[in-house]
Amino acid sequence: MLERVVPLVILIASGVYLSLAIKLPLGTTARPGAGFYPTAVAVFACIVGLAATLRAFVTPRVAAAVAAADGETPGGRRRVLSTVLMLGASCFVLPWIGYPATALVFVTLVLRGLGSRWPSAFVIGAVSAALSFYLFAVLLDVPLPRGVW
Amino acid sequence: MGPLEGLLYGFSVALTPTNLFACFIGVVVGTLVGVLPGIGPVGAMALLLPSTFALHPATALIMLAGIYYGAMYGGSTTSILVNVPGEAGSVVTLIDGYQMTRKGRAGAALAIAAVGSFVAGTVGVVGIMLAAGWLADLAVRFGPPEYFAITLGGLLLLSRLSGGSLVHAFVMVAIGLALGTVGMDSISAFRRFTFGSVQLAQGVDLVPVIMGLYGVAEVLLLAEEGIKRTKITTVRVRELLPTRLEWRQSAAPIARGSIVGFVTGLVPGPAAVLSTFIAYTVEKKVSRTPERFGQGAVEGVAAPEAANNAATAGAMVPLLSLGIPFSPATAILLGALVIHGLQPGPLMISQRPEVFWGFIASMYIGNLMLLILNLPLVGMFVSVLRLPQHVLATLVLLLCVVGAFSLNNSFLDLWVLTAFGIFGYGLRKLRADPSPLVVALVLGPMMEKTLRQALFLTRGDVLEMLARPLMAAILLVPVAALVGPPVLRLLRHSRRGLDSFQAPERGGPGGRPEPPL
Repeated sequence: MLERVVPLVILIASGVYLSLAIKLPLGTTARPGAGFYPTAVAVFACIVGLAATLRAFVTPRVAAAVAAADGETPGGRRRVLSTVLMLGASCFVLPWIGYPATALVFVTLVLRGLGSRWPSAFVIGAVSAALSFYLFAVLLDVPLPRGVW
Repeated sequence: MGPLEGLLYGFSVALTPTNLFACFIGVVVGTLVGVLPGIGPVGAMALLLPSTFALHPATALIMLAGIYYGAMYGGSTTSILVNVPGEAGSVVTLIDGYQMTRKGRAGAALAIAAVGSFVAGTVGVVGIMLAAGWLADLAVRFGPPEYFAITLGGLLLLSRLSGGSLVHAFVMVAIGLALGTVGMDSISAFRRFTFGSVQLAQGVDLVPVIMGLYGVAEVLLLAEEGIKRTKITTVRVRELLPTRLEWRQSAAPIARGSIVGFVTGLVPGPAAVLSTFIAYTVEKKVSRTPERFGQGAVEGVAAPEAANNAATAGAMVPLLSLGIPFSPATAILLGALVIHGLQPGPLMISQRPEVFWGFIASMYIGNLMLLILNLPLVGMFVSVLRLPQHVLATLVLLLCVVGAFSLNNSFLDLWVLTAFGIFGYGLRKLRADPSPLVVALVLGPMMEKTLRQALFLTRGDVLEMLARPLMAAILLVPVAALVGPPVLRLLRHSRRGLDSFQAPERGGPGGRPEPPL
């Protein structure tokens, strides 16, 4: 299914991009405006998006289906989904609870989701949060978020 | 400054303690990255880019490039010893390399791979010295139309050579070009596709996109595969010496692989991977005993390993002399230079010789370090594979988050990282190569600027643009590469159709052709 959904999404996105691009000042070929190049890119994106969609619906699905199923292990999708959710959640909470707490919770939960036991996941989480904070915030002077407190 | 004088000056820059240390860190990290399946050199370079902000541009470039060519050395180690390519450029090495291990010649295979890589690295450095200077002299004569032709031609060639279908590659190019239009227009300062966001006005940054596509996506694939343990073969130092016959069999393949690799590196595309396939095919073709290939032929290790190292050097030529990157790895190097306020291109050699020559000399030093480090420490590097992959994957993810945020202190970059991580994972599942997207994202703004400048110059007359001999010559190569194969296929089909149509006439009812007179 993925091999049909992706080109379709790209085609729709290209259409939306084209509709936004043509609203920009086009100018002339002698004095191209800010919308000249994006419109050209949008037309190109629509053409290749259409070609990819047609290809996905017309050609046999066997090869793509094999590719999609390739490397799948039991519980694989669940692990991918939990990792993505943890990543998204960490992006969301980082400004509020700060880097050290986010890193601790993030590493612990991702490791747990990938099959580690709670104690080892927590220890690795705590050590990696502390070490990375020391390395980046203290040694390299990177202003990592410290949270609302 | 002549090439030899420049190289001597480069050594004086590269041999300073700071630059030597940066080179050492780069090649060690590169080797580790090459050994570990999952995170590749591009992801590692993107991860370490923020840590180079405080460094001198030459030091930053030396460290990042060290990761790139160091990974080529490391990748061969796991290909030979455990039948797992640490990175894509070492896939071909495992065909004969692992067979050599099974025959008890792992040490010889590792030594030949290391020496081959060193020789190729040296050939590559000489190649850069000669080609970059020559190309930079030529590029001084280029105007906006020529630069536009190079960027357009590069993208066309990359789409043709990136593997997979042309339509997929074009889709990636279109996404990259579209992303490159987000933000403030560089000529009129008009805000495009920003939806009122101040952060988006600066455009979509390359680094979170690369970290997502190459770092997060790889971690998601590792997460899907679950916890794996790798069986490790150990090699003693005394087993590393190849026999006289093996040396003799490897000498010519190393020389051929170095040339093939360097030339492939000049062309837009996945040079490190493509060069290994070409070098392997060439060796099989010229060999008097091609049946040995796949059974543990030392030439099958020597040529690809030389080729992938020379290709990394070749890929630096368009970056250093034209300021145009044709691969994701060189795009990161360009990003590093731009962050430090440098614009690589024809004038960099004369304006910032310490960066240009220091970088070239450091490649030679780095290759020597790799040769000295890799053989005695092969056991230590391979033991890294004992690290639990899920722990490593989680730590890489954490580094991606820190790296993406620290670039601009922007939370938007974290969302870009996540989005492109998911997108990259989807691409891996569909076996689509994301590199045209990355290169298009870098070349897009350059392409727009030069196109608009060219149209201003010619008052919108496209024919006048095409009439410029340099531009026409530059465009001819990619157009031929794009149109050539389908036309040739069509001609072959029509000839076959004609033959099958004529065959019954010549051969009678049975359709068997008569023997030629």
